[in-house]
Amino acid sequence: MKEHSLGEFEELVLLMVAALHDQAYGVLILESLEEKLKKKFNISAVHVALKRLDDKGFVKSRYGGITSDRGGRRKKYYVITALGKKVLDNQYSLRTSIYMQIPKISFS
Amino acid sequence: MKLPPRYALKFLRWFCRQDYLEEIEGNLIEIFEAEYEESPPRARANFTRHVIRHFRPAFIRQFKTKNTNSIDMLRHNLVITLRNYLKYKSTFFINIAGLSTGLATVFLVYLWVSDEWNVNRYNSKDDRLYQVMQNITNGDGTIQTGAGTVGVLAEALAIGIPEVEEAVAMVQPSWFNTPSRIVVGDKKLKVPFQFATPNFFKVFDVEVIRGDRQTALDKKYGVLVSETLAQELFNSSDAAIGKMVEWRWEETSHAYEITGVFRLPDNVTEHYDVLANYELFLERKDWLRDWGSSDPNTFVLLKSGTDVAAAERKIDEMIKKKDPHHEKALFLQLYADRYLYGHYEGGKVAGGRIEYVRLFIVIAIVILSIACINFMNLSTARATRRLKEIGVKKAIGARKGSLTVQFLTESMALSWLSAFVALILVWLLLPGFNTLTGKYITLNIDPGLWLAVIAIVTLTGFVSGSYPALYLSRFKTGEVLKGKLRTTFGELIARKGLVTFQYIMSFVLIVGVIVIYRQVNYVQATKLGYNREHIIHFDLEVEPNDDPQYFRPGGGWELHVESMMNELRKADGVTSVANFYHDVTGDHGGLGGVNWEPGDRDEKMGFNNLEVGFDFIPTLGVEIVQGRNYSREFANERAKIILNETAIKMMGLKDPVGYTIKVWGKDREIIGVVKDFHYESLYTQVKPCLIQLESGAPKIMVKLDGTRMQEGIEAVRRIYEQRNAGLAFEYRFLDDDYNALYASEQKVSTLSQIFAGLAILISCLGLYGLTAFTVERRMKEICVRKVFGASSVSIMRLLTSEFTWLVSLAMLIGVPVIWVLATSWLNAFAYRTSLAWWYFVAGGAVIFLITIVTVSLNMVKAAGVNPAVSLRSE
Repeated sequence: MKEHSLGEFEELVLLMVAALHDQAYGVLILESLEEKLKKKFNISAVHVALKRLDDKGFVKSRYGGITSDRGGRRKKYYVITALGKKVLDNQYSLRTSIYMQIPKISFS
Repeated sequence: MKLPPRYALKFLRWFCRQDYLEEIEGNLIEIFEAEYEESPPRARANFTRHVIRHFRPAFIRQFKTKNTNSIDMLRHNLVITLRNYLKYKSTFFINIAGLSTGLATVFLVYLWVSDEWNVNRYNSKDDRLYQVMQNITNGDGTIQTGAGTVGVLAEALAIGIPEVEEAVAMVQPSWFNTPSRIVVGDKKLKVPFQFATPNFFKVFDVEVIRGDRQTALDKKYGVLVSETLAQELFNSSDAAIGKMVEWRWEETSHAYEITGVFRLPDNVTEHYDVLANYELFLERKDWLRDWGSSDPNTFVLLKSGTDVAAAERKIDEMIKKKDPHHEKALFLQLYADRYLYGHYEGGKVAGGRIEYVRLFIVIAIVILSIACINFMNLSTARATRRLKEIGVKKAIGARKGSLTVQFLTESMALSWLSAFVALILVWLLLPGFNTLTGKYITLNIDPGLWLAVIAIVTLTGFVSGSYPALYLSRFKTGEVLKGKLRTTFGELIARKGLVTFQYIMSFVLIVGVIVIYRQVNYVQATKLGYNREHIIHFDLEVEPNDDPQYFRPGGGWELHVESMMNELRKADGVTSVANFYHDVTGDHGGLGGVNWEPGDRDEKMGFNNLEVGFDFIPTLGVEIVQGRNYSREFANERAKIILNETAIKMMGLKDPVGYTIKVWGKDREIIGVVKDFHYESLYTQVKPCLIQLESGAPKIMVKLDGTRMQEGIEAVRRIYEQRNAGLAFEYRFLDDDYNALYASEQKVSTLSQIFAGLAILISCLGLYGLTAFTVERRMKEICVRKVFGASSVSIMRLLTSEFTWLVSLAMLIGVPVIWVLATSWLNAFAYRTSLAWWYFVAGGAVIFLITIVTVSLNMVKAAGVNPAVSLRSE
């Protein structure tokens, strides 16, 4: 299932879109990620990830209203789709199930 | 104001997909604005960096416009174009007339230039084929450059210089004063001839159509003949091979075998019908083996990949070693270049015909650009007429690009139409052009020519269409539909600048024509120091004679010449008769080795050498300032000598008459000094000259009675034909010889007059179009003024004032331009007319006059209009 594949950064962006629910747009996603991961990203990476998620149908978007900020450009808000949510769920359950298989050995 | 970097933003907007642009731009600006608070420079840098990071396939838009109806659009554009032509007939006519004349000029000049360029350029090894040129430094420090070299130079070069692949010695037809005779049975023909070493065909790509290329020139008494000569003598090339013919050149006569038949390439400077072994020539002119001599031409084919400068140095060192007595220097010049670069100054190549080639290329471009400017001006000026069309198109959704394409289609169509007319013009004018330039140019179906035509026409269409296309397509939709057209300052400047440019060019051309015309006239009117009118000259037929005494001084030949001249003197209409060697107007042998003082400074000085009969000086009307002429009354006149004033001045002799100098080791007493006369072209200063007596010289000069010219010529012809049965009498006027010296100036003068006329005509057409337009647009204003009582004159002044300013500006710029150009052209002449202020005034007056006439043609229209009619229709 190629179109349902999800790269690591894409997954983070998708998670963030889901978490920010309805308020997610480029700069906010970027800032939130930077804050969580304590790491700098380039905005173009976020744009590319969003485009790919959009192409795969994991997110959908709408434009906000015009404000005097941003040089009069509208914000583009993203929300996760049902398919996107399912993929995240799958990913999560897959990881949890494998995680559960880890034997209880002391790692200290 | 916190604004992101302009160019980065522009770049982003240019490449980014429309559906992502707003989001990306918005986000970038938001980040920028946030960062700007901390550090503006960093924010800017980051912004640019971000933009560049977005330059990736995911966001780059598609650049190909998917136009599915391009053929329909083209058809539409052509229909609109055609309608415009029909609607504005005068504009169309002005453009077609201008562009087609401009293009015709360019085509003609192209044909002429490519013909000039190809002269002598027929050898496949042209890039390695050099002619050895010789510089001789005269006693006064001037350097004389010539193509004559030592007779055995080729031989020595082939052995001594490793870089030389082949060295050819050659004596070309122009070197000989008289053509040779070829005799077969009772046929006797005058033929030009050339000598060359047997390796000639290894270097020069002259076609040998019969006989063996490799060996044809090996035999000493074997000659090759041209195809035409073979045809004339034996009716076919095949029949000519192996035949024996009697061939006479100078005073020799011998039987030769025809070993081959050759065909000369078309575009060459030297034409000959007989090609013979160089050995013959060298054998007869034994003194050419001496390293102090210089006469034959030497050509070297260098090995490929040779360092030319190094080879040149070695050749020069060689001559310095072999001939230390003269200050001679040798240098190499590409044989193919010699035709175009045949002028030397101070021992270096200094242009030549190439200057005329350049001049005409520039003129052709100027004329074409004047025509292009007309098109630009008229189309932008008439833009107001097409505002609605453009506006509607834009409103429907035509993009700038498609409008640009439309206007370019228009100009392309026009330029192709003009090209068609131009080609017809060229076809019609070519015979006349050939007569004028003395060429044989034909309109061949030559791919190079057509490629050039296509390139020139397309470029013309593009250049003339580009400005209007960009200008017209830039209009703003809203403003255009409202009928407002704001003419910005820049556009006005552009249009006026173009008109001024036209004026400058016309002005420069007019004054240029005056200068050239004056100089050519000056040359013709200059006192030459001799009288060249009513003089004809011809060659005597030299029959071979076995008696060794025959050609000696006082021998049978001399008696023959004397008796001929005596008979001529008695003839009707003949004033006086003289004989001479060489040409009066052209080529004189150089001569060194003259002694008049101790030391060797004098030996190195070069003299020109005229060999003349007793009556030469009085017949030409050359003035004797001191002493006397040669006379038959005195014995041993050959031991005397006459010099010109320049020679005396250079030698520094106080009391020359009676002084004895040595010429080539022989004592010569100076008996007379003649006033300087221009025996060469006025390009050069009069050189020191020796006039030696050669009473047997075989050229006869006859001065005729100016009132009975025809009678005189007939009488001379009768006498000539009596003595030389079967040979046609061929004579030339000395006047014609003299004019031939300036043939290229004459041609340039005529051509530049024509070109200037064309340039002015085309500019006038454009000006007419522009004023017609102005008058039309300001008709209401004019009518209102008339109603209020303005006179025609004041209206005229109103309309011409604009152009008056432009003309004045053009002249202000034009004067220094001409000054520089004309001075440098005139400097090529040793004797020249000077620039006079009235040339400029005359040029300016002509332009003013033409402008006023053009404008008033339109004024008549405006003046004739009834104000009521024009003002009523609103």
